[in-house]
Amino acid sequence: MKRFLQILIWTAVAALGAVALGTIAFHRGEAINATWFVLAAACFYLVAFRFYSAFIAAKLLALDNSRATPAERHDDGRDFVPTNKWVLFGHHFAAIAGPGPLVGPTLAAQFGYLPGTLWLIVGAAFAGCVQDFVILFCSIRRDGKSLGEMARDEVSKRGGFIAQLAVLAIMVILLGVIALVVVNALKSSPWATFTLAMTIPIALLLGLYLRFLRPGRVLEASIIGVALVLFVVVAGQWVADSPALAKVFTLSGVALALWIIAYGFAASALPVWLLLAPRDYLSAFIKAGAIFSLAAGILLVRPLVLMPPLTRFVDGTGPVFAGKIFPFCFITIACGAISGFHSLISSGTTPKMIQREGQARFIGYGAMLMESFVGVMAMVAACAMTPGVYFAINSPASIVGATPEAAATTISSWGYPLTAGTMTGLAHAVGEQTLLNRAGGAPSLAVGMAQIFSSTIGGERLLSIWYHFAIMFEALFILTVLDAGTRVGRFMIQELGGRLWKPFGRTNWMPAVILSSAIIVGLWGYFLYQGVVDPLGGINSLWPLFGISNQLLAAVALVVATTILLKMGRLKWIWVTLVPMAWLVIITMTASYQKIFSPNVRIGFLSQASALAAQIASGRIAAAIIADTQRNIFNLRLDAAVTAVLAAMILVLIVEALAQWYAILSRGKEPVLHETPFVATQWAEGD
Amino acid sequence: MRASISQFAYAVRTFWQGLRQWCGDSAYETYLACAQRQPAKKPMSPTEFYVEQLNRKYSRPNRCC
Repeated sequence: MKRFLQILIWTAVAALGAVALGTIAFHRGEAINATWFVLAAACFYLVAFRFYSAFIAAKLLALDNSRATPAERHDDGRDFVPTNKWVLFGHHFAAIAGPGPLVGPTLAAQFGYLPGTLWLIVGAAFAGCVQDFVILFCSIRRDGKSLGEMARDEVSKRGGFIAQLAVLAIMVILLGVIALVVVNALKSSPWATFTLAMTIPIALLLGLYLRFLRPGRVLEASIIGVALVLFVVVAGQWVADSPALAKVFTLSGVALALWIIAYGFAASALPVWLLLAPRDYLSAFIKAGAIFSLAAGILLVRPLVLMPPLTRFVDGTGPVFAGKIFPFCFITIACGAISGFHSLISSGTTPKMIQREGQARFIGYGAMLMESFVGVMAMVAACAMTPGVYFAINSPASIVGATPEAAATTISSWGYPLTAGTMTGLAHAVGEQTLLNRAGGAPSLAVGMAQIFSSTIGGERLLSIWYHFAIMFEALFILTVLDAGTRVGRFMIQELGGRLWKPFGRTNWMPAVILSSAIIVGLWGYFLYQGVVDPLGGINSLWPLFGISNQLLAAVALVVATTILLKMGRLKWIWVTLVPMAWLVIITMTASYQKIFSPNVRIGFLSQASALAAQIASGRIAAAIIADTQRNIFNLRLDAAVTAVLAAMILVLIVEALAQWYAILSRGKEPVLHETPFVATQWAEGD
Repeated sequence: MRASISQFAYAVRTFWQGLRQWCGDSAYETYLACAQRQPAKKPMSPTEFYVEQLNRKYSRPNRCC
């Protein structure tokens, strides 16, 4: 009877999910309610978790709860700490959830809601969750080794080195592009700039409190910090209303970029307890609060999704970024469906804290489903505003014009009605001078979130507060990724440099700290600067570059996972990792090729560089901007070279892995698996 | 009624403990409990542990994009 009831319930969930997915896929004409998105996603996730993850756990990985995990064998109260599975789920989710699943879907909304939503849901279930889950399992079986170490042990030494270099390169591009998102959100906004600037002294205050007054009392310090941050969100309005103060905090894109570069350097070189860690605590609480509030807001308000399922920009002529759905929707969505960076977390802290192997399914697969849900919510928030407003906020001035009138004329001519008064009124309502040309996704997401929040609490009166709360939330945790990433990048550079000159590798030797911090900040700072001065808004070039690098890292992780599974003799079920790996290789290689060689000047780096060079040669560029144009040409060629190098590195790794696979399958070589030997758990069932 | 209250109190206590563990508030207590099982080593002070823990945590990827 119980089994019959279970079958009935799961059939109902699957049927409801199919109806909801069918509704959002085939709906045409009038606006559709966001509830369908929530239902489709929730039902699909439930079915995927219940059946597909269980199948992977049982057949592919054969998880073994009788095997002691690294947390049990090495329990030291520091790195290896057996942790309750719900707490570890929260840890893991907080670590993997960054700005990517918010910004990516918002940008991909230019194709309409449908392609992005489908890839978010399906991609997560069959690719992203699989990667996180399998890499977590592999790392648990290897005492919590990192992806680079596993690549070296299981694929080849060269493979390990390539993976390490790929991580560093990806980190540099990632940090540059997310810093650009912050710059575009804060540009010419004294309220937002003041709020974010004030989080630095608040973090310093918390750092001193936690270091000298109440060591390690994170919860009480965070409560104080969150209260202060909420206060400065409100106080930002007073700053914006004061002409003298507003002038101080009204900064251009270049000025903001320089401040962020200086901040990154300080966060990397200063003691970690002073600035970086307390900011991270603040960010974690505000991130969790904002994500839950957004989910609650969408469920309560049930907004209408005004964006059509498919826009005219599926043909690749989109104003936010150029390129067709295939492959650009997939590399733009990135983290919400699959993120290579997650494999670093799944092979970092989490495997050292897990109590039982069986929990890897809930934590690895489950947390990624939740991240995908965040992506779906971001898509809903972006698509809940009128398409005209969405395009006005996210398109660069070189395409839609810099004034409300010009933007309204251009965007209306595309078939998305917009008046100049709508943009002026909206900017006024959210307390900004303008919302035009803010490519990057953060401001449009903030407008969407503010509209949802203000429909729940405060109405129009609180729209400006909610908007700046959303901007602060996005910018705060982007900067947290930025400072933590800069510091990790510094360690990687010190490790690489230490191989050439030993003292450089000493992480407490100040000259090495300063030099390596300057190198990593200089590298991502260069990408940030080129994005800020790019006439197409920077996002058009840099976000695809970030997406390609992130998805390439995911391909690396799946190559490593597939190699390990082949060595374990799981050939029958190898398609579980092989198919998403092949898909990622196809989309990233296609996107890389198009970004380098496409003759369309809005897509191809080289063709755009050649077009600009031809314009200089024919005298069509004014003398005053020739130097800027030449720098732009250099940057485009640099972007092409970076894309080519990244793609080449991954191809080398794949060739290395293919040689391994051939040797294993042809039985030319006995597979050597670098697992830690089996040790039976000493814990009773249920511990 | 009493059973419901004690169940509620248990749920609140569990949530509170989970929250403290999640944010790192109880990390020193966890470390101390572990260190007491190895009496040969002198345990670190709360400040030493806090700084050492942060230095380790932020030397590897711990925040994603």
